[in-house]
Amino acid sequence: MAFKIETVIEEQTARMTLHGELDSLSARVFMTEIEKLSGQPIEVLVLDMEDLDFMSSAGLRVLIFSKQKIGTHLAIYIVKPQELIVDTLEKTGLHHSVTIVDQYPV
Amino acid sequence: MESKSFPGVVDSLDELRAYVGELSQKAGLAKKATYSLKLAIDEIATNIILYGYEKVGLVADFKVLSEITDQELIVILEDEAAAFDPLAREIPDEEDLTMALEDREIGGLGIFLTIKGVDDFSYEYVDGKNRNTFVMNVIKP
Repeated sequence: MAFKIETVIEEQTARMTLHGELDSLSARVFMTEIEKLSGQPIEVLVLDMEDLDFMSSAGLRVLIFSKQKIGTHLAIYIVKPQELIVDTLEKTGLHHSVTIVDQYPV
Repeated sequence: MESKSFPGVVDSLDELRAYVGELSQKAGLAKKATYSLKLAIDEIATNIILYGYEKVGLVADFKVLSEITDQELIVILEDEAAAFDPLAREIPDEEDLTMALEDREIGGLGIFLTIKGVDDFSYEYVDGKNRNTFVMNVIKP
């Protein structure tokens, strides 16, 4: 399914809603959205993944990149990821560095 | 063995995953096993396309060979890029996987997910072609 992303920035929180499948092609679009945040005073990144059906390591690399690009202070919340995506986050240990929640604000 | 070719470009990944989904359904794989196989094949195909083909300007197809037996679904990715053994590179260990994001190296996660996701993964270079073989056990109800 085609990948889509919508970004809303409110004060110091950037909220991105991801739909479809995140592979190495669509990760380029995700990366571009993250790059736009660079230099802005963003403290919280909320990724709404309820409608994301697939995420490869290319998507994980963007998560790693976002922390490295925006800053170590950045808090990343992943909202309602599908079970198999949670499995990928856990296998790769990324769940230690993000907060998985059912809704945001928590 | 069934065979299907795909153009060696990243735009093929979507169609490749859909095809792996069809094979998994035919073999009777569960949802989680299907996802893991899709992920594993997507990761290896991405490496073939980005580094084996696009980086060196090689325009070629890659092939998906498959066989369903009573016990297994076997899928082989066959490509014409220079010999590359994905198992030869260093795979992240426990220490790498518990590191904070800001300290992480951005590599090796794809092959790690491949190996963890399938029942068997192997590589060989035969007749000038890379063959990456993925095996999923079929559990009959």
